[in-house]
Amino acid sequence: MATLNWRTINIDALDPDSPANFDLSTLTPDVASASTADVQSLAGQIRQLLRAGDNEGALQGALENPPYGADERGKDIHLATVIEILQSIRQSEMSPILSRIYSAPGGTEALDVLMKYIYKGMAQSNTANTAKTMTPQATGFSQIHARGGGEGGGQAMSVLLSWHEKLVEIAGPGCIVRVMTDRRTV
Amino acid sequence: MPAPEVHHLFHYPIADHSFSADRQTLAVARESNVDIYQRAGGKFQLKDELKGHDKTVTSVDIAPNSGKIVTCSQDRNAYVWEPSPEGGWKPTLVLLRINRAATFVRWAPSETKFAVGSGARLIPVCYFEEEDNWWVSKHLKKPIRSTITCVSWHPNSVLLAAGSTDGHARVFSSFVKGVDARPEPSAWGERLPFNTVCGEFLNKTAGWVHSVAFSPSGNALAFAAHDSSLTVVYPSAPEQPPRAVVSISMQLLPFMSIVWTKEDEIVAAGYDCEAYRLQGDESGWQLAGSLESKGRPGVQDHREESALNMFRQMDLKGKASADDTKLKTVHQNTINTVRSYEENGGTVSKISTSGVDGRVVVWTL
Repeated sequence: MATLNWRTINIDALDPDSPANFDLSTLTPDVASASTADVQSLAGQIRQLLRAGDNEGALQGALENPPYGADERGKDIHLATVIEILQSIRQSEMSPILSRIYSAPGGTEALDVLMKYIYKGMAQSNTANTAKTMTPQATGFSQIHARGGGEGGGQAMSVLLSWHEKLVEIAGPGCIVRVMTDRRTV
Repeated sequence: MPAPEVHHLFHYPIADHSFSADRQTLAVARESNVDIYQRAGGKFQLKDELKGHDKTVTSVDIAPNSGKIVTCSQDRNAYVWEPSPEGGWKPTLVLLRINRAATFVRWAPSETKFAVGSGARLIPVCYFEEEDNWWVSKHLKKPIRSTITCVSWHPNSVLLAAGSTDGHARVFSSFVKGVDARPEPSAWGERLPFNTVCGEFLNKTAGWVHSVAFSPSGNALAFAAHDSSLTVVYPSAPEQPPRAVVSISMQLLPFMSIVWTKEDEIVAAGYDCEAYRLQGDESGWQLAGSLESKGRPGVQDHREESALNMFRQMDLKGKASADDTKLKTVHQNTINTVRSYEENGGTVSKISTSGVDGRVVVWTL
């Protein structure tokens, strides 16, 4: 007994009532599973709309069918699709499109999904940047390089930021709180 | 609408507050004590302090008829306080048998029981055992998966709604033999042995539930969650899916507390520091506006003439706004609790709110 380090005992394994023994999926809302192929075919349909010049329809289509149940690859594909749509819409068109989506049935839901993709897009362009330009230096000020460098990433970020601004004007801070709360991630 | 009655009690957060039935006594949870205030004219004066808990008091409730006060705390204890003949208050410890903090406590309308929410994933339903002269508890356990943040009693004192951080609002039966009379069958259930789950509702995002409340008739249940949503459930019949579940997502920050004022109106308040009115029925609910009119004169313009203020004004010269640290709302921080203050024939005519800013405010609807 003296040799047993009791601090390392996993007490959750011994306690049948422990939350560690729950099936955590029962706590989350039901999501329909989606295969990567489904996501890819959806991306193809949306690109077609985009090529036909129907930016709004493409955005709506992408936001109405978020692949919550897909794996990481499928989610990345859909993220790329959404970012592509966002970049193809001009700044002056953003607010009118957003308010039309908002007033449509299920509009708040769609805008919440858009906010999720905006945040995910921001997170991605950040990691891409830091991976490229993070050069560990003796001074320890490597973040400064990360922020200044990467022209392409910076432009994507500015598009996302202006979408973010317009979106909060319409959907309010409640939209941001919902993205942080929601267990259905994109 | 008359101006709200503002009582700025102290500079500490108020976790919970409760008025006595005659509205002359106010109990507020302040750190690890409960302060008892007595109304004197238009003001509240500190009269007593209930000392007994050794960690933050999370909730306090005064029974309207018996005047008994129940408090619960993060120290995993609950006390029932009764006025003692020689003045002051006498605490009785309640055997909760929980190994995590107690988060929320409310008396049942019958006042023979109360329910305590806890972090131990269970709800002790407590009642008085005459033989042993002791408050004992029975545990509502299944199928709670996480901390209980709030409870609300049905008018029949048997059904209990609870909101949890697992994103569910649930309706339980807390029927205790020998304490409760057999309840009338309702849309929630007919036979109701202890721990019957009469309803389990998950909101769309599975966000934490901050507040639950039965409607005055008990035939509808509303809950507010951390995804800035309010969901109202209308049950149809026992063991059947509900007749209607109306959920609205708001542009506002989440609500921390809700109270029904009529069958078709809810007042809710939270992180936006002001109270909002919501109206609706089975076909839909919508936000009907704030209880306060912004930029109301007389509230912000009231500033004392003092040397301090004179120098402050000189210091702020050239700034766009002299007082940009003050919110335009009456509460200056998150509102934690909204309660009914005065009722007339089933309709709530006045409500009280308390929050992190140490204020208790009475609003006329």
